[in-house]
Parts: sequence; structure tokens; C-alpha cells
Amino acid sequence: MDDLSTASLQAIALLFSGDAQLWEIIFLSFSVSFRAILLSAPLAILIAFFLAYFHFPMRRFLIALFNTAMSIPAVVVGLTLYLLLSRVGPLGDLRLLFTQEAMIMGQMILCFPLLVALSHATLQSVDRRAWETAITLGAHPFRAFFSILKEARFGLMAAIIAAFGRIIAEVGSSMMIGGNILHYTRNIPTAIALETSKGSFSQGIALGIVLLIMALVLNLLLTSIQGKGEFAL
Amino acid sequence: MTSLHLSNISYSIKKQVILDQLDFELNSENFILMTGQNGSGKSTLLKIASGLLKPDHFYLSDSQDPRVKKNWHESKGYLRKNLCYLHQTPYLFNGTVFDNIAYGLKQPLFSKTRLNHSEIEFKVNDVLKMIDLQHLRNRQSHALSGGEKQRIAIARSWVIEPSFILLDEPFANMDKQSRHSTYDVINQLKEDNIGIILTSHDPHHGELAFNRHFHLHQGEMIEKSLPDNII
Repeated sequence: MDDLSTASLQAIALLFSGDAQLWEIIFLSFSVSFRAILLSAPLAILIAFFLAYFHFPMRRFLIALFNTAMSIPAVVVGLTLYLLLSRVGPLGDLRLLFTQEAMIMGQMILCFPLLVALSHATLQSVDRRAWETAITLGAHPFRAFFSILKEARFGLMAAIIAAFGRIIAEVGSSMMIGGNILHYTRNIPTAIALETSKGSFSQGIALGIVLLIMALVLNLLLTSIQGKGEFAL
Repeated sequence: MTSLHLSNISYSIKKQVILDQLDFELNSENFILMTGQNGSGKSTLLKIASGLLKPDHFYLSDSQDPRVKKNWHESKGYLRKNLCYLHQTPYLFNGTVFDNIAYGLKQPLFSKTRLNHSEIEFKVNDVLKMIDLQHLRNRQSHALSGGEKQRIAIARSWVIEPSFILLDEPFANMDKQSRHSTYDVINQLKEDNIGIILTSHDPHHGELAFNRHFHLHQGEMIEKSLPDNII
């Protein structure tokens, strides 16, 4: 217990000391995960919209598939990408293994089904009259689509934050296809794993604190945008 | 005067016939009352006519030139531009009353030359003045009463100047005062030469000067005499 409190105090001191290496890891982690979300979200939301609003063959199957894909373990994604990107793999010539691009690919695969499934649930719950109203008021279907997104913005933001939460904290694929290379592919979770295995708990805890603070800030941001509740207790 | 001929309108769900080869003329002088029991297909017909719902069969022709017939796919753009549908309980987008009324004015389908902000402002203020709801201009849509929502929704359609407005049970769940305010707004639409189809399960709306009455029953539509004016 003493070890834990000492390590925690050291972690806080480390955070405020402006340790360059620590902040580099934090920046890299956010940079990779932000890029993965930015690249995944538009297509995922578009697919979710089609699943929620249009009837086409295989629709139900696709919904079930995305729901199932939410629970793919990160290590499985890591392993699959590793095999694809390794020198002897079919995509080996791209030389992407142990790069940030590979980490982004892994995180995109992890967050994509989550984004589709959560956005689908949100868009499904938007009143059908919203679409009809937009169309009858002269909106092109493309504009009507954006009107629906605007109506569902809080749910969609929650979906994006949930997806971001999943990928910024995942260690399996980042470790396998990123390689945990200092200054290049070491992010918060892989650094925590490494520091813990070395017995250097303070750095691990400091990074853990950053992850938690980040989650708290994002959620506070979301709740402040969503406004105050309508009903008094 | 816009005059349309809608013919062979059929619609069925899982082999149950909702509308069976309906045929009717529509012109902008019409003020049509459409009655029928719940489930008789009134809303379905209005949604098909306004280009929102794909029917099994449908043809549209201009009454001046009945030889040129267009199917639903070919005519849905025209229908969406000229026939504006209003839900029984209208949907107002998140935002203010102004945002809602301005919505249609910002869509390219209605503004060949894009309206600038002051033109939109002028049109919205003008229509709010006509329905006597200027004081609600900056109110959030979720803070409106049912009757106010209905009138704002009518104004939102009116401002884009369609040839026809299709009102689906606009008086459902409305108190007497809201009902009278809504009658006034609908009469103003008529004065503005907008063709109107209004559906209701209750044929008695004495303050509205309908000039035709259709009744939907078991997928068929029959023209009836206008009901006595009883409020």
C-alpha cells in the first residue's frame, strides 16, 4: 500500500515536472488516436445512416456483424495486421509494420464497428418525421442527411467519445503492430505495460492518471454541450 | 394556376391493399377535405402525392397536356417542390422558431437564386407577422405548445410558397382556441392561392370554406357532397 501511495505521489510530481519523454508519449498517443477517429468517423456514420434509414438486402446481417465486431479483442486485430504487414505478409511491401500508420490502421479497425453500432442506435432513434420534414421543405437528400446528423449530434458525439475511449486505452494492437518504439510508436498503454514490467510504477501511474483525466475532460465536455436537464429532482 | 392529374395511385403493404388505383385532379384553387376512418390511407395518399413515399403505381400529368405521363420516380422532384406535406404532429427541428421557418428558404430547391440573410430575415418576419406569432421568433422549438407548433409548421411551409399544402389531421388533439387560430392561418393560405388538401376523420370544420370533399374507404376514393357547416 505504501508502495502504491509513494508511486502515486511520484507520478503526480513527474506529471508536473514537465518530463519531456512523458509528454512526448502522451502527445503521440493522442495524435494517433485522433487521426484514427477522424479517418473512421465519416464513413462509419454514413454507413450507420444507411443502416438506420434504408432497406436493402443483408441490412440486418450487416447490423449483426457490426455489433459482433465490437467485441473483437485488440490482440486479434494486432495479430491479423501483423501477419498482413510483416515482411512475408501480403502487404509487406508497404513497409508499414512498426509505424504510426500501422497503429492508426489497427485503431481504425477497432473503433469502426463501435462507431457504426453506436451511431446506428442513435440515428435509429431520431424521429422519422425529421427526414420527411427536411425533404418536403426542399432539402436535397444530402442536406437532409446533415440535418439528421444535427438532430442526433449529442448521441453521435457520445459514440465518438466512446470509440476514442476504446482506442486510446488499447494496448494489444498498438504493442504488436506499433512495436513500442521510443519517440516513434510508444503510446500511453504500451508505455504503461513497459514501465510496469520494469517495475517503474510511478511513470506507469502517471500515464494512467493522464488517461483518466482525459476521459473525465471529454465527458465533462460532452455533458456541458448536452446542456442542463429539464427536470428538477 | 397549377393543375395536376394524379392517376392510377396504388399502394399496398404485404399484399394488403391500402390504395387501389386512385385517380384525381388537383388545382391550386382546390380546398379539399379528405375524410376517412383511421387506417383508410389518408396519410399514405398525402405522402405519395408529396413525393415522400414510393407507391406501387403512380402517374402524374399536367391537366393542360394529359398525354405526357410521368411515373413517381420521374415526378418526385416536381412533387417535392410543389406539394408540401405537414405531419399530424409536426416535427420542428432543434433550434429556434426562426431557424425552423428559415430552413426551407435555405434549401436550393426553392431558391433558384440563393437568398441572402436579410432576405431570409424579411420573409421569416413577414410570415410570423401574418400568423401573429412574432413574439415567438427566438423561442426554442421544444418550448412551444402543440397549437403553436402546428401554426409554426404551417408558416414554415407557407414561406417556401408551394403550389399545394397537404395538411394531415392538423386539428388532432387541439383545444378550441388553438383550433380557431389554426383555421385563421389555413384561410390565409387559401387567400394566397395555395391549393390545400386537409385530412380529417371529422368532416365538420365550419370555418373552413372547402370546395371539394373526398372520402377514402377500403382503398377507394369517392367524391361526396360537402358536409354541413357545423362547428
